[in-house]
Amino acid sequence: MKRRQGWLFFIIFLLTLSVYLLINYPLQLGLDLQGGSQLTLQIIKEEGKVTSDELEAVNSVIDKRVNNLGVSESNLQTLGGDQLILELPGEQNPLVASRVLGKTALLEFRTQKKGTSTDLKTLQLQRLNIKELIELYSSSDKTQNDENYLKIIQNDLKKIEQELNYSYTSSDIYGMLIEIKKYVDKEITNLFIKTDLSGKDLINAGRRQEQTNSNWEVLLTFSNSGGEKFAEITKSIAGTNQLLAIILDGESISEASVGSQFVNTGITGGSATISGNFSAENARELEVQLKGGSLPLPIEIVESNTIGALLGSKNILKSLYAAISGLIFVGIFMIFNYRILGFVSVLSLVLYGFFNLALYSLIPVTLTLPGISGLILSIGMAVDANILIFERIREELYDGNTLTRSIDSGFQRANSSIVDGHITTLLSCFVLFLLGTNFVKGFAATLGIGVFISLFTSLNCSKTILRFFTTYQSLRQKNLYLPKKNFSN
Amino acid sequence: MIYNFELIKNKRKIISFSTLLILLSLLGILYSTFNTSYKKPINLGMDFIGGNELRIERVCEEECSNFPPDSVLENLREISKNKNVLNNTKLQFQNNNKLISIRTPYLSIEESNNLISNLDNIVGPLNYESKDSRLIGPKLGKRLLNNCVASLLVSLFAISLYITIRFDKKYALFALLALFHDLLIVFGIFSWLGIILSVEVNSLFAVSLLTIAGYSVNDTVVIFDRIRENLKSNKEGHNETIQLSVNESFRRTTFTSITTLIPLLSIMLFGSYSLFWFSLSLSLGIIVGSYSSILLAPTLLLKD
Repeated sequence: MKRRQGWLFFIIFLLTLSVYLLINYPLQLGLDLQGGSQLTLQIIKEEGKVTSDELEAVNSVIDKRVNNLGVSESNLQTLGGDQLILELPGEQNPLVASRVLGKTALLEFRTQKKGTSTDLKTLQLQRLNIKELIELYSSSDKTQNDENYLKIIQNDLKKIEQELNYSYTSSDIYGMLIEIKKYVDKEITNLFIKTDLSGKDLINAGRRQEQTNSNWEVLLTFSNSGGEKFAEITKSIAGTNQLLAIILDGESISEASVGSQFVNTGITGGSATISGNFSAENARELEVQLKGGSLPLPIEIVESNTIGALLGSKNILKSLYAAISGLIFVGIFMIFNYRILGFVSVLSLVLYGFFNLALYSLIPVTLTLPGISGLILSIGMAVDANILIFERIREELYDGNTLTRSIDSGFQRANSSIVDGHITTLLSCFVLFLLGTNFVKGFAATLGIGVFISLFTSLNCSKTILRFFTTYQSLRQKNLYLPKKNFSN
Repeated sequence: MIYNFELIKNKRKIISFSTLLILLSLLGILYSTFNTSYKKPINLGMDFIGGNELRIERVCEEECSNFPPDSVLENLREISKNKNVLNNTKLQFQNNNKLISIRTPYLSIEESNNLISNLDNIVGPLNYESKDSRLIGPKLGKRLLNNCVASLLVSLFAISLYITIRFDKKYALFALLALFHDLLIVFGIFSWLGIILSVEVNSLFAVSLLTIAGYSVNDTVVIFDRIRENLKSNKEGHNETIQLSVNESFRRTTFTSITTLIPLLSIMLFGSYSLFWFSLSLSLGIIVGSYSSILLAPTLLLKD
């Protein structure tokens, strides 16, 4: 008797604890339930495997960049040794993130080769032309007579093609424009020689609006040794016609001359500004990339999931309806077939629900749509154990045993089947969790936790509640445990 | 109520019925492999081959105006920068023209955003809060597919190891046979659904197969447990004891299936759209699994 009471108090204690946990540690909702974007980033390495050091380095650079973007509550995890998963909750634009994240941000400073002035001027002019063509192409999209625009662009492209002596591989105009832009960028970069100053010598980056016009510029601050290198380089080309190019990921973003007043000392003070035609947004992106440092390996965005906030809250409601209606119908079915026993199983199902959710907030498990379906499915499986036991109890009752004896041996005899069944399901969950993707992991986790808890609630809670009930004489009549029409059997 | 299935008498019928189901499944798989546009045993969705899927609601005052999907696609092509991206594109209006769903091959995030803003120009305004967009690269898709196949094989191995240890080899063999029977039939049904209704399978389908595997074995093991227990105590013949055990476990197995089917049905009726086919394949698996546990697996244990 005392042991039974002990269990009852323990269960009540667990229930109180669960409610306390649920109130104080709210459940974490996945992006499909609260809205937001999820990006899977693949690290690209031509040969060999990505080492754990490289993975960590990429991870920390991306982490810095995301923080500098000012995204709150973002979450970054590594996956499978060469992938990263980035979650951006709320209504963030994945496009901005992709522009900032995808860049290697390899910053180089190069000086112009001697005697290349004419070539550079031609190329710079072409670059300007191409930029204009691209803008023209983008803005011509929505006008009625874009045929004319296309012809103009095509003609201009032909001219550039002839002047540069370049042949395209692409067949559509947009592809050609991008291709020729890349080619010109590369040619410009080739006119410059590498120096020993690079992004590694940078300690900070910032941005500000130019005073003379509304354009933005990006400020670079070098380390001590970087400042010395910068002074040395600027000194070597001061007053000559050679330019200094600032090159990001192989593309020159700025070419500047150094005035003859710097011929003796170079530009000292350890800082430089890049002033191009930066918009506020472009300047911010460049700042974020430079601040975060360069990626040791390039990355590619291989998966993106975006779910609007409204859809997220709709998903919660729908899952809630599904879970509650599922519970109610299962409850009705159980009470109809097993009467008091059914009622006991409903109580232990409710306990099961509370324990489950409390454990989610404790571990913590992030609740996603597949996760919820794992939970709902595990309700069905939790009932399975109850049914196994109840069927055994019924058999014992039919055989004419007393209620107490039937209950005891019912639980005992169902034990091995229940454990077997649960272990096979746990095995699948375990494999799913180990090998599955993010999406699948959520399902495996909730189903696995559910199966585990159902072992406790069906074997222990059901038994305790049932024993508590049978201490009342009015609840001890056999016909409360069997459907009436079958009882005569 | 005592159930009385004449398992011994109907041995032949049960085995023929299962053979028929298996043959129909194989037929679907073969037809799908050789006579469909995708040339695969089953219609693989974008999870496995990569692609872009967008669903978004339109903002409409009362009734949403009607647009023929073909002309919308035509318009999209006209204003799109990279025309090739709109090859193999499916566009649909659902829910009284309110919901647009569009499927294209893999796009970059930039291209996908362009597509949305172009769509906004043609059939907008759109409600961005209701947006559901998924992009999967082709390489990742392939990896996912390999991953799913691998996890299916590993978990099958683990399950067979477990029942071999718990039961003897013969029982393990038949439980596994029932398991393959169940998986093959669910696979076959989805093969046919792909052929007839262009239903695609995604990674959740693989999850459902794994869950079905666990469930099917669970169900069979419970009955085998009963058979083993009865064989120890009963003095009746081997075959009669098996038949008795099946009838004793019949109610438990059907009730368990029903209580698992009820929540799945709730997900299909009330749950999110993305879980519909997942719940359906699980439900089918549970129905087939119950049949094979009650009738097929014990029948295989019968001695001539």
